[in-house]
Amino acid sequence: MKRKALYVSVLIALSQLGGCASLGVQPWERDLLAKDEMALGAEGIDLGLDDHIYFSKEATSGGRSFAGGGCGCN
Amino acid sequence: MRFLPRIARKLCLPVLVLATLFTPVAMAKQPAPDILLTMTEGQHKLSDYQGQVVYLDFWASWCKPCQRSFPWMNAMQNKYAERGFTIIAINVDAERDLADQFLAKLPADFPVAFDPEGKAPALYRVPGMPTSYLIDHTGQLRLAHQGFHVHKQDQYEQEIVTLIEEMESSK
Amino acid sequence: MQLSNKGSIATALAGATCALLGQSPAHAETETSMLKDWKFDTAILYYGETDRVSLAEGVISATKTNDDDSIFNVKLVLDTLTGASANGAVAQPTVQTFSRPSGKDSYQVAAGETPLDDTFRDTRVQLASSWMQPFADTWRGTAGFNVSKEYDYMSLGVNGLLEKDLFQRNTTLSAGLSYQFDSIDPVGGKPTPLSSMMIPADYDDEFEDEGEGEDDDHGSGNNSGEDKTTLDMLFGVTQVINRRMLMQFNYGLSLVDGYTTDPYKVLSVINTNGVTQDLIYENRPDTRTKHSFFWQTKYAMDNGVVDLSYRFATDDWDINSHTIDSRLRFNLSDNSYIQPHVRYYQQSAADFYQPYLNQSDELPMYASADYRVGEMAAYTLGLKYGRKLDNGHEWAVRAEYYQQDPKNAGFAQPGVLADLDLYPSVKAVILQFNYHF
Repeated sequence: MKRKALYVSVLIALSQLGGCASLGVQPWERDLLAKDEMALGAEGIDLGLDDHIYFSKEATSGGRSFAGGGCGCN
Repeated sequence: MRFLPRIARKLCLPVLVLATLFTPVAMAKQPAPDILLTMTEGQHKLSDYQGQVVYLDFWASWCKPCQRSFPWMNAMQNKYAERGFTIIAINVDAERDLADQFLAKLPADFPVAFDPEGKAPALYRVPGMPTSYLIDHTGQLRLAHQGFHVHKQDQYEQEIVTLIEEMESSK
Repeated sequence: MQLSNKGSIATALAGATCALLGQSPAHAETETSMLKDWKFDTAILYYGETDRVSLAEGVISATKTNDDDSIFNVKLVLDTLTGASANGAVAQPTVQTFSRPSGKDSYQVAAGETPLDDTFRDTRVQLASSWMQPFADTWRGTAGFNVSKEYDYMSLGVNGLLEKDLFQRNTTLSAGLSYQFDSIDPVGGKPTPLSSMMIPADYDDEFEDEGEGEDDDHGSGNNSGEDKTTLDMLFGVTQVINRRMLMQFNYGLSLVDGYTTDPYKVLSVINTNGVTQDLIYENRPDTRTKHSFFWQTKYAMDNGVVDLSYRFATDDWDINSHTIDSRLRFNLSDNSYIQPHVRYYQQSAADFYQPYLNQSDELPMYASADYRVGEMAAYTLGLKYGRKLDNGHEWAVRAEYYQQDPKNAGFAQPGVLADLDLYPSVKAVILQFNYHF
């Protein structure tokens, strides 16, 4: 039951993210998003090293991926 | 490292086939909307350039393909300026500093206008950075392409030459 | 393709095709540092626990961005691990003797101390590579592989990721798949699950008989290695919220099949007075299904970046975990920054976790006393300083403190165990130096 509620709330969150037209920027307004430090996987080396440590010291790992963001150029 | 690109090229064949469906860049002939061009040496209007073939480029300092387009745009400007061609590059950076830093590293041999408020790209509904438009000598928009792809440089140049020749034959 | 439309200027989008990757030199442009296409990231890391494990790790990552915006990356990681780690047995008020993994030697643990096996010494080499290819203007595909080798462990993996941009690239959908094959060949052979640890009869380090060829390996198990496969699926949505803010949500499903047991871990079997009567090797289920929900947001301040993430994970071992991670970057100037890092982690115990076994109870099918699958909270506090040089190179240093606080998930501590610390904290420092050029 609890799990079901979680799935539903996740679905709602997703639909709000994807469907809302007022979200987002124009292609020429990506100056801040294009910065290296704004990439989701910025400092990838650090994240990789941290993952290695936590992977071997804790029971859970992963979950992160480096998709999206950036300058939205071509 | 040589072998890797070759492998990638093989993988890309089906992709290429797909991509050709998207490639054409011609657009319906329509007058290029006039815009105010704020340049270092003063104000101009796009319509001031009527009578020339214009390559109107929208770019930003933070856009990586834009960096690759600059050397090529310099080459085109130097090669065809005397035949009545010009590149006009509109910078859309919100901060002028960043545009100036970019230009210090990659100097432009063509006119650069600054539009920090993004009025011109909004009017043209620019779909991405960079986007460029080819405008013929009568002020009609003829072609557009989004992005700058080094391997398409020859095609871009041919498009310019076609419009220059069209202008020359009309005289 | 002629596009006629009313009023607005629609551009027919130029498709991103695959560039001629091995382009002829005729197109080579003058190289400036701005257009440099190979970038290198290097780092060395030291991780040291008080009285336990220490790790030194080096990374070299090379990334090439091609003219068509495809990206090639290759990464080499080398690390070496030494020191002691908890073997799973409970502390006792008397000296305890344990067999080393080789089975030919033993070590002693002082009264009141958490038993640590100090045999660990391992070197790992890992190689990973990936190729990201944009195509059809709004798509990206990434394919990669990784290989890693340790003395007793080998891992091979392949992965793929497909991304699609929507709404002028304000939304990105992604789907990823990875398959990992791990093979472990434990030192001294794989112990028989839940069998007793044999202690070599003569406890004498100096007169160890190396010449003897017989296999008196631990737990009288067999010598064959064991395999494990992991299939991971990841589905993500990234959304640009506004000029300053970006958000990502991922769902991950992980299916593990095979040998998940740690062959070097044991459990104490105690009597009603808490005194150890036997030591038996642990045994874990041979499948595990994990779900993870990951949310991350990034916010660009005028002089820095806020990076906040939360992960909830749950699995059929009954381990639920929560992780909050935050990095706040403050630009001190145009070319330097400091970045505090705070991380909090909390997990519940696996259903087969037990700090010890009772002699009077029947042997369970699965049991582990490894504190890493027990109830635990952990936190990390760190600070990073980074600087960009005039030539475009960058360096950074990072110092962090990591503490794990294992918790009692409701188990009694009978007799002699009452006064002993069965859940000692693990404290570690992390030091790292990065150089980017």
